[in-house]
Amino acid sequence: MAKKNRVEAPLTPAVLHILLALSTGERHGYGIMKQVEADSQGKVKMGPGTLYGSMGRMMEAGLIRESDKRVDPEMDDERRIYYKLTGMGRSALEAELRRYRGVVAVAEGRLVYGR
Amino acid sequence: MAADLAGRRYRTWYAMLLRLYPRPFRERFGEGMAQTFRDLCREHSDTGRGLFGLALWIFAETVVGIVRENITRMNQLPKTILRVALVSLGLLMAPLVASRVVNDWNWNAGAFVRVYLLFFVTGMLYAAIAKKMRTWAYKAGVGMALVAGFALGWSTMVQTADSGHPERLWYLSVLVVGFIGACLARLKAPGLAVTLFAMAAVLALISVVLPSGAPSDMALRMAIGHGVFVALFTASGLLFRHASLAALR
Repeated sequence: MAKKNRVEAPLTPAVLHILLALSTGERHGYGIMKQVEADSQGKVKMGPGTLYGSMGRMMEAGLIRESDKRVDPEMDDERRIYYKLTGMGRSALEAELRRYRGVVAVAEGRLVYGR
Repeated sequence: MAADLAGRRYRTWYAMLLRLYPRPFRERFGEGMAQTFRDLCREHSDTGRGLFGLALWIFAETVVGIVRENITRMNQLPKTILRVALVSLGLLMAPLVASRVVNDWNWNAGAFVRVYLLFFVTGMLYAAIAKKMRTWAYKAGVGMALVAGFALGWSTMVQTADSGHPERLWYLSVLVVGFIGACLARLKAPGLAVTLFAMAAVLALISVVLPSGAPSDMALRMAIGHGVFVALFTASGLLFRHASLAALR
């Protein structure tokens, strides 16, 4: 897990998926869960325990923060807390994606050339 | 109808399960988790699926989360104690150095131990209370109230010992008001705001009513000192008020 002011890759799969889900905009807990499911084509299913536990650690690390409490127009009239990426969260996501690209490049090179 | 009943029952059980999380975690995420569980139940009901499998999975997954968060919290406690102990030691350096430099400052070893314990207890109080809420206003309010309370208690004890006026111990009633108020408010921001305003009012009243018995220049300095404490308690009350209003938004 990344510490505040010090983002260290690799991130855990849960943290990476939450960062990805929030990269396109603010979402509430259930919204993040659904986005993670959609991003992974249903392969990653995150329960509230994993989701909120990871979010707690991400907030302490300064990767995400609470945005505000408002009603989701597509759902009911309950007010929900929305979460958003911080600048550090976006940097961590970009660093992790760069790392993945590097790993994929090495793996593809080995598959093609058999090195 | 049966699905509604089952959903309600599962939501009640889930709310009870969430109580097993450490309090700071529960206060931060409990409502969101319960809301997310309701959303998942509704989604399953809308698609005609039964809730038993979902509830079983979510409950098991949440139990794992509860164990993890409690272990994390237990691991953090020694770190907090160590941090407060070190900061207290650093603060103790001030009277230690002063006792070497200032004439007539002759504390024995017992006095330093008592002062260290005062610093440590105050620091642990801050750590414990400030963890309850994450808003900067609440933390700043707690810090300011503890520093002002500590300084008031300290100066009262020193002045009473130096001047031989036991009636000055009346100033400690401000701290008693603070302690009772904090207990009654159960450390919630709105109640703490009222408590700090009450402390400021009690201190102002004692300053006016209680004769200082000091020469005029000393009395002026004391009046300024009291004014500073009243301002600190009032500012702390305003911070708690800000925190309580922020929580409503």
